[in-house]
Amino acid sequence: MADARSEHAARKVASIAFREFKHTALTKGFIFGALIVPVMMFAAIAAIGALIGSTMAPVSGTLAVLDGSGRVAAFATAELAPEATAREIAEALERNATIMPGGAGTQAMAQAATDAARVDVRVEPVTDPAQEAALRTRVQDGSLLGLAIVTPDVLKADPRDAEGHDATFTLIVPSKSPPRLTRLLEKSVARAIVKARVEAAGSDYTSLNALLSVPETAVRRLATDGKEASESVAAKTLLPVGFMMLLWISTFTSGQYLLTSTIEEKSSKVMEVILSAVSPLQLLVGKILGYALVSAVMLVMYGGMGLAALSAAAMSDLVSPWMLVLMGVYFLMAFAFVSTMMASVGSAVNDLREAQSLVTPAMLILMIPLILWLPISEQPNGMLATIMSFVPPAIPFVMMLRVTASSEPIAPWQVLASIVWGFGWVAVFVWAGAKIFRVGVLMQGKPPTPKELLKWIRMA
Amino acid sequence: MNAVTMRAVRKRFGQVEAVRGIDLDVPAGSLTGFIGPNGAGKSTSIRMIMSIIHPDEGSVQVLGSDAITAKDRIGYLPEERGLYRRMKVGDFLSYMATLKGVPSQGMHRRIAGWLERVQLQDVAKKRCQELSKGQQQKIQFIASVIHEPELLILDEPFSGLDPVNARLLNRMIRDIHATGRTIIFSTHVMHQAEQLCDRIVLINKGQKILDATMPEIHARFDPRTVEVQPVDADPRCVDALRAIPGVDSAQWVPERRAAELHVARGADPQDVMRAAMAAAPVRSVELRRTTLDDVFVELVGEALPPSEESGNG
Repeated sequence: MADARSEHAARKVASIAFREFKHTALTKGFIFGALIVPVMMFAAIAAIGALIGSTMAPVSGTLAVLDGSGRVAAFATAELAPEATAREIAEALERNATIMPGGAGTQAMAQAATDAARVDVRVEPVTDPAQEAALRTRVQDGSLLGLAIVTPDVLKADPRDAEGHDATFTLIVPSKSPPRLTRLLEKSVARAIVKARVEAAGSDYTSLNALLSVPETAVRRLATDGKEASESVAAKTLLPVGFMMLLWISTFTSGQYLLTSTIEEKSSKVMEVILSAVSPLQLLVGKILGYALVSAVMLVMYGGMGLAALSAAAMSDLVSPWMLVLMGVYFLMAFAFVSTMMASVGSAVNDLREAQSLVTPAMLILMIPLILWLPISEQPNGMLATIMSFVPPAIPFVMMLRVTASSEPIAPWQVLASIVWGFGWVAVFVWAGAKIFRVGVLMQGKPPTPKELLKWIRMA
Repeated sequence: MNAVTMRAVRKRFGQVEAVRGIDLDVPAGSLTGFIGPNGAGKSTSIRMIMSIIHPDEGSVQVLGSDAITAKDRIGYLPEERGLYRRMKVGDFLSYMATLKGVPSQGMHRRIAGWLERVQLQDVAKKRCQELSKGQQQKIQFIASVIHEPELLILDEPFSGLDPVNARLLNRMIRDIHATGRTIIFSTHVMHQAEQLCDRIVLINKGQKILDATMPEIHARFDPRTVEVQPVDADPRCVDALRAIPGVDSAQWVPERRAAELHVARGADPQDVMRAAMAAAPVRSVELRRTTLDDVFVELVGEALPPSEESGNG
C-alpha cells in the first residue's frame, strides 16, 4: 500500500519533471537561443580564425626604395624573396606554437606561410631624391605597390636624434593596399635598413642576429612532492575560468527558466489547480528535476564543445577524468543551490521585477568567484581560495576554479570536506526553499521582505 | 457516511484568524453549497479540505481518510484558476489527468469525450491562449472532473460564464451529482446555490452560522416578505402600506410593479396581508417564500456592525 503510494507520488513528480523539460528544452526558443546561437558563435569564431590565417591574395608588383646610399634596396630584395617571407611566417608559427601547441591556429598559420610564398614583389632602387614626386604619382595611380623613403639619418650607426628619438623611414602605399601587404612591406624595409646599418658598421648580420636571438623558454613547474610538469600559461589561465563559466551558464540559464516558469504559474493562477493534484513539495521536486535535465543538456553540449575545441588545439590532456568527475559532482551542488533559490524566490513574488530584489543578495555572493577567478586560480591553495571554498552557495564555483587551476592537486581532504560541507548546505537550502515555496505559491499581493521570508520558514 | 468531516478546525494567517473552530459534516452524495460573504473563510476551508493548506488546529477527514491520501479522488475547480497558456488543450488535460492518477491507456478517448460534452471537440490541438475566456473555463472544469472524482469541489464555477454556458455547466453539475458523487459548491450568488444545492452551509467571519438542508431552511426561516401589486401600479401606495402595523419597511420594486413589505418579528404576516388589502385596491397580495438571499441577509446582516449593515441595505 505504502509502496503503491510512493510509486504514484514518484510518477507525479516524473510527470511534472517531464512537462517542465519538454516545455523548456524542446521549444524553438530554447533550441535557437541555448543551442543554435552558441554553436553559431563557436562556428563564427572558428571561421574568423580560419579567415585571419587563410588565403592572402597573390601579390605581384614593384616597391620603390628611395635611398641616397643605394644600399637598402638590395637587402629589401632579399627580404621580399618568397622563401624569406615564408620563413618569416614559419618563425611566427613557431613562436605561436609555444602558446598553442598544434591545433587549428597552427594549421591556419601554416596556410598563411604557404600564401606568403606566393608574394612576388620586385624592388626598384632609386637614389635620386628629385624623383620622389614622380614615384608618389606612380603609387597614387597604383602602378607601384609602395614607396619607401629612407633618409641618411635612418642609416646612421646611431639613428637617434639629439633628443633621443629614433629616426624614421616613410612608407607610402596606395589607399587600397591590403593591410597584410603593407605590414609585409614595412617589416621587410625595416629589416633591410637594419642589415644596411650592420653592414656599414662592418659586422655580419647573420652572426649578430644569432647572437641576439632570445632563447625559447621551457617553463616547468616543480611540485612540492617533487613531480615535474610542463606549464602552459595561457591554458592554465583560461581552463579554470572555462570550467567555472560552464557551471555558471548551465546552472543559471536553467535557474532563470525555473524562476520564470514558477512566476508564470503563479501569475496565470494555474498554481492552485496543480496543487489540487500534488503537494507543494512534489511540485518543487518535479520542477527542479525537470530543469536539472535542461541544465544537464546545456552542460553536456557546452562542455562537449569545449572539449572538442581543446582536442582540436591538441590540449585535451589538460582535462583529466578526475576533473570531469568533480565537475559532475559540483554541477549537482551548484544546480541544487541555484534552483532552490530561484524556485523559492519565484514562488514568493508576482513578477520578475520583484524577483530581482530578492535574488540580488544571493547573486552578489555568487559573483565572488567571477570577480576573484584570477587570484583564486593563481593561488588555488592560498588563504582566499581556501576560505571561499567553504562559503555557500559559492562553494562549487570556487572549487571548480581550484581543482582545475592547480598543477599541484588540492588536498583531497579539502575536496572531500567541500563536498560534504556543500551538500550539507544544499540540504539546508532545500529545506528552507521548500518551506518558502509551500507558503509562497499561495501568497498574492506585496512581495515578502527578507524578514518575512524567515518568518515563512519558521511558520511552514 | 460523510464525504467530508471537519472537527474544531482553526486556521490563522498572521494576525487574522480565517477559520475559527469549524465543525462540518458533508454527507456523501449531497450537493452542498458553501455560501458566505467575501473573506468569510470559504476558500480557506476548501483549501484545507484539498490539503493545499493545513489547519493549525483540528482535523479534516476526506472520503474516509486524510486529505492528502484522498487527493486523487477529489476534483477541484478553484476560484482563481488558470491554464498553461502556451500548452495545447489536449496536452494540458492529459497532464492534469496524469497528475490525478488516470492511466495513459484510453486517455485520448477520455479527453475527446469530455471535450465533446462541453461542445469544444475541435480545440484539443489549440494552445490554451487561443481560447476565449468562456472556453478556457470549460477546459478548467474538465480538468477538475476528468479523473471522475468521488468528491467535486467547485469554487465560484459560474463566474464569467455567459447564460448559455452557465446553463450547460449547471446541467453537467446536476448530471455528475445524479451519478451519486458528492459536490461542494461555493458561491456568493444566492439564487445559484438555492437552485442547485440540497444542503447549505453558511460561513461568516470564519465560523459556520448555518448548516441545513433546503427544506429545513424553509421550515426554519418564516416567510416575512409580503408582495402587494396595486391595481393602478402607483408607487405612491408604498406610504400607506408602510403605515400598516407590523411592517418595519416597505419599498417599491419597479420591475414587478409591486411593493415589498417586510414584516417585523412578532407580527403576524396574515394580519399584514389583510391590512394591505384594506389599505389600497390590489391586484394580488402574496406571502413570498423565504429565499436564500433573505436568509443570508438575515444571518449575515445580524452579524454585521450597524454601519456595514446599513451600507448593504
